[in-house]
Amino acid sequence: MELADISRLSRSSQEALKVVLDRCIRCNTCKYAFREFTPTCPSGEHFKFESYWASGRIRLARGLLTRRLEWTEDILHPIFACTACGACGDSCQAPQQDQIVDIIESLREFAVKSVGAPAKQAKLLPAVAKHFNPYGEPHSDNAEIRAKYNLPQTASVVYFIGCTSNYRQRQLRDATLSVLQKLGVNFTVVDERCCGSPLLRTGQIDIVADLMRHNAEVMAATGAKTIITSCSGCYRTMKKDFTKFGVDLHGEVLHSSEYINQKLTPAVLKALQGKATTSVAAKSVTYHDPCHLGHHMGLFEAPRELLRKIPGIELREMPRNRTSSWCCGAGGGVKIGYPEWAVQIAGERVEEARQTGASTIVSTCPFCKTNLSDANAQAGSALDIVDLVELLDRAL
Amino acid sequence: MEKLTDHKRSEIKGRLVGIFGQENVTDKAHDLFPYSYDATECEPHMPDFVVLPETVDQVVAVVKMASEAGVPLVPYISGNNIGGLTIPERGGIIVDFSKRMNRILHVHESHMYAILEPGVTFGQLKKYLDEHHPGLRYSYPFAPPFSGAVGNALLSGMNNMSCAHGSMGDWINGVEVVLYDGTVARVGSCFLSKEFRADNWYSRYPMPDLLGLFVNWQGMTGIVTKCAVQLWPRRPIETAYLGIAYGYETTAEFMRELGRAEIIDDISAVSVEVAKMALGIPTPIKVPEEPDFALLIPVSALTQKHLEAKHEIMQDVLAKVKQKHGNKVFLTGFDTFASLVGEGTRVFYDLPGVITPLVEYSGLTWFGSYAPPEHLGVLFEKATAIFHKYNFPAFVYSKIMKSGHYGIFRPIIRYKKDSEEDRARKAMEEFFDLGVSYGCIPYKTPVWMCNKLKEHIDPNWLALFKKVKGFMDPNGIFNPGRWGI
Repeated sequence: MELADISRLSRSSQEALKVVLDRCIRCNTCKYAFREFTPTCPSGEHFKFESYWASGRIRLARGLLTRRLEWTEDILHPIFACTACGACGDSCQAPQQDQIVDIIESLREFAVKSVGAPAKQAKLLPAVAKHFNPYGEPHSDNAEIRAKYNLPQTASVVYFIGCTSNYRQRQLRDATLSVLQKLGVNFTVVDERCCGSPLLRTGQIDIVADLMRHNAEVMAATGAKTIITSCSGCYRTMKKDFTKFGVDLHGEVLHSSEYINQKLTPAVLKALQGKATTSVAAKSVTYHDPCHLGHHMGLFEAPRELLRKIPGIELREMPRNRTSSWCCGAGGGVKIGYPEWAVQIAGERVEEARQTGASTIVSTCPFCKTNLSDANAQAGSALDIVDLVELLDRAL
Repeated sequence: MEKLTDHKRSEIKGRLVGIFGQENVTDKAHDLFPYSYDATECEPHMPDFVVLPETVDQVVAVVKMASEAGVPLVPYISGNNIGGLTIPERGGIIVDFSKRMNRILHVHESHMYAILEPGVTFGQLKKYLDEHHPGLRYSYPFAPPFSGAVGNALLSGMNNMSCAHGSMGDWINGVEVVLYDGTVARVGSCFLSKEFRADNWYSRYPMPDLLGLFVNWQGMTGIVTKCAVQLWPRRPIETAYLGIAYGYETTAEFMRELGRAEIIDDISAVSVEVAKMALGIPTPIKVPEEPDFALLIPVSALTQKHLEAKHEIMQDVLAKVKQKHGNKVFLTGFDTFASLVGEGTRVFYDLPGVITPLVEYSGLTWFGSYAPPEHLGVLFEKATAIFHKYNFPAFVYSKIMKSGHYGIFRPIIRYKKDSEEDRARKAMEEFFDLGVSYGCIPYKTPVWMCNKLKEHIDPNWLALFKKVKGFMDPNGIFNPGRWGI
């Protein structure tokens, strides 16, 4: 059998796509949270036909790879109408469980190289190429931040801000900077560019390696051995995707919740609270697991541990949490490609949060915050949507 | 069916959209493709449409439309069957029930049954019973959680209470079915009312058992839209034993004797290689000193004394088998075994779950058959030789059903679909020949096996079968091509 020519794809995508030849009997386990039997796939639940579930996408990949299916404009819809949240991978019990998202993203790369990216997602590439951020905002080299916070050129820790925190959810960035300073961390920020995540998630990888190399170089120049980020998407990308492109970060990548949780010992907390000028009023919160942190990277507990350290906070879990968590709807290019559906997905999560009786949804990703806030506003809900680091900043 | 002309395709699509709504109908190649094949070696065929029904009225409408237009209808739940049963042999319309027609309509606590729509899955039913009827239990096969409970019952699947209660086909109390002309008929004790009532689905007897017109017919005689399945009281003690056995005949005899003792819920035997697969060895090779089979024996009891009595009887059975065959069967508690050997082995007990060895590759096939229990020993031995001949790890799966009235013999092949399918197909043909030569009857039977089976069966049975099919489906719309007719 002659396979389609995929030599133009990145090596990691070629490898991921070939998995579909030998794996997946389409047992459908990816459709439910394993053992919980609750829905976790926003795409399948919405569009319903088999091609919109992980196992169906694997079949599409096999069909295209074996030339049983032909490329058409139509086929882009099931390939891109997916948040790539990775819930399917947490449910799957087969050997390909950790490769499902890779397969979907590789299929997108295959699509982009074959028929081009969908029109809306295609806007990401020129924006990042020109401005180094997907929002098309004028690039910031972060010199202003370094000056404002008196940050050094070299440090033991780099805070990689991420585009969404730097250009949209700035209060999240500012809270992170504030908390790091309160903790006395020797850190700095760099002239960072987009980590590449929006392009990787939408199969538009042409400039991704350049972005990664730049970021690796500027971070290495600080001498830092620890890289922290408050963005789950950046975290996943730096921790998992850089190596696929042969880029070494020369440091350990930690999510801010992970890093701060390590630093915030009871003694530190006590000392900081003594200095605090504000405090968090007692409140019940629920925690939304960002997919790039949870489903993709298995980081479920550190944010919860950190939340529990904040005095006055009561954590009420949503029924779907950790590996059975429901996506916020923003990831995988869905926010730009299918904005209404993205908010609809988030709306389901907001309603689930509301039913816990909590007053606040806490997350650890600026993109989740954006989309949950959009849904919250659309629903006229009185819930407060905050990032964990913002809550923490108020408490310290 | 002849290939649809563009005009006819367009006309049918318009009618389908009228019935189901635009978003519940597709004829796009990429949407159709995932429905065109399954894990097995069965030949792929593309459907022309897929529709997602939600109501009985929609099913009635599509049946009427299909009868008029002469377009095949293929019922589909999750497509997990290992037999190509939802591959549209002659194209047509896939009626996918799992997405919108998947409600648990009623659970009758005192009569112990559940009325299900066709799309209900095992996982869904388990969750529902645990949450709302914790005193009742259903039973689960070695199938993934997202497999259709109704489909498995209608196709006489098995479960983890089969030694006590037999085939799942026997657990059906009644069905509601849409016939070729759009008539909606209720079969079973639920016939005793003009309109649907949820409280009268308690038995399929003593009226003539018209369920036989639908059970095991693979959707060839009508489309089932409701199905009542029996539930069972949950016992306070549910546990399991793990056995290892040396010798094919010894294994088979122990299974038979234990079945006859009527103390266990179920007994499953798998080649020892399968236990190793569950521990993460994809292609295990049995070493000579290892046992031939691992046995999983779920047992339930009302009290500790009840359990102890069962344990005592089990030891008596073991002693009897040892007296004849020597010290070749060993039993332990399943928890002890799992903690010693590996937690991965729990996949065989903790159902509905995923039997990880079954999902290793992209292909999966079996010769699944009901078997005369007295021949299981020789079947195990000869099947193992076939596995070795074709260089697949041995994966024999067997059960004793209904206290030993019949057994299950199921050699299973996991394979890489794009590179090993020819080899798997040849091995399957040998398994078929072996099984049939010892009186095994395949179930959930793929078309190619049906065609081979015809060479062995009573021609008058076949003639009767065709007559019934012609009566039930004069327009040839219900899953045509199945059973090779």
